[in-house]
Amino acid sequence: MGVMRIGHASLRVMDMAAAVKHYENVLGLKTMMVDKAGNTYLKCWDEWDKYSLILTPSDRAGLNHVAYKVENDSDLDTLKAKIEAWGVKTTELPEGTLPSTGRMLQFNLPSGHEMRLYAMKEYVGTEVGTTNPDPWPDGMKGAGAHWLDHLLLMCEMNPPEGINTVADNTRFMTEALDFFLTEQVLVGPAGDMQAATWMSRTTTPHDIAFVGGPKSGLHHIAYFLDSWHDVLKAADVMAKNKVKIDVAPTRHGITRGETIYFFDPSGNRNETFAGLGYLAQRDRPVTTWTEDQLGSGIFYHTGEMVASFTDVYT
Amino acid sequence: MIFDSRTKLSVCIANTGESYPCALDESLLRGMLKLGRKGVRAGCVNGGCGVCKVRIVEGTVKPLGPVSRAHVSAEEERCGITLACRVAPVTAVRIEAIGKFERPFSKEPAIAAGTSTTLLTTQQEGDM
Repeated sequence: MGVMRIGHASLRVMDMAAAVKHYENVLGLKTMMVDKAGNTYLKCWDEWDKYSLILTPSDRAGLNHVAYKVENDSDLDTLKAKIEAWGVKTTELPEGTLPSTGRMLQFNLPSGHEMRLYAMKEYVGTEVGTTNPDPWPDGMKGAGAHWLDHLLLMCEMNPPEGINTVADNTRFMTEALDFFLTEQVLVGPAGDMQAATWMSRTTTPHDIAFVGGPKSGLHHIAYFLDSWHDVLKAADVMAKNKVKIDVAPTRHGITRGETIYFFDPSGNRNETFAGLGYLAQRDRPVTTWTEDQLGSGIFYHTGEMVASFTDVYT
Repeated sequence: MIFDSRTKLSVCIANTGESYPCALDESLLRGMLKLGRKGVRAGCVNGGCGVCKVRIVEGTVKPLGPVSRAHVSAEEERCGITLACRVAPVTAVRIEAIGKFERPFSKEPAIAAGTSTTLLTTQQEGDM
């Protein structure tokens, strides 16, 4: 019941042909359809619903919205009541607002980001099927990403003004959408200010993450790979394709993820990562990172922050 | 780069007075990063994040791709403001870096103190 997992992200891109080439050839997604407005819908080989990424033509980069899939259609009504009771306005978008997708519940997080919930999206199946499936399909391109796993949203935070939408979002996701907290960064003189949080509905360390910044935006969308070796190979693919790598293969302290960060041709940051991290559970104690050790939390090996990684987003 | 025989033009960064050679088919930012030089901040290097915003003070450049309207308005573009990652030199140029990093956690002294040293890390990374 309730939210199951991330369903799709809708990104703005400034050069559609370059964007499609990137998501197909570097990440290994396939284009599933293009609508009349020129929006392109793509999915990974291991995903079974019709699409997990929408690219929309624009004069700038960034996130249009992120959508999560709920288990039952009636969950949309239950969650609408909970979201509105929390004090967030919702709009119901009828079936067909997005192709191959049922009705959606639309609202804005306290940070301003648009989120949508839906229960139905056309089933097309994974590329290996469900009967005696092979572990992976032939003809994979690039990194061969399995699925869109999570995203990280930069959330307006200005403590002197009393603004902390990281904390607001975290409370909203917990109370209205029943996510649970897995890790957090606590800062400030008393070490009690939530400057970043990682939250889950599945059994992985994060289905969404929030980090404080001067203004709200998109930090990255992340794709799942099987192993550390696949992370290395993904970096090779990026080098082959002259992709701008932001952070070469390394490990996060936070979530224990093995990772690479890079940019799509419009400057939207992508991540390919591997590693389960740990089994995220509602009764697992929350991990806390303190301000003096945050460098190790972000990049575990060097313990040093990378300015482009912490300060640049769309 | 001794082994790079391509024709290059000089790019002078007005803020620091430093100059570097940039190939005709290479963005001003890539040219700088390749040589491990500094002066213009580097982010996505793909026209989206805006941190490499520059004013073309002297000389002519040609566009290599779209720049985000969230960071460079049409009016600014007419006045010679663009992103260093999206233009290549046509003549020798003099540029002024005007992009800003907007730092998350900037109110936190422990982290703000660390940022000046990590800027160096980013610049070195661009050299790889």
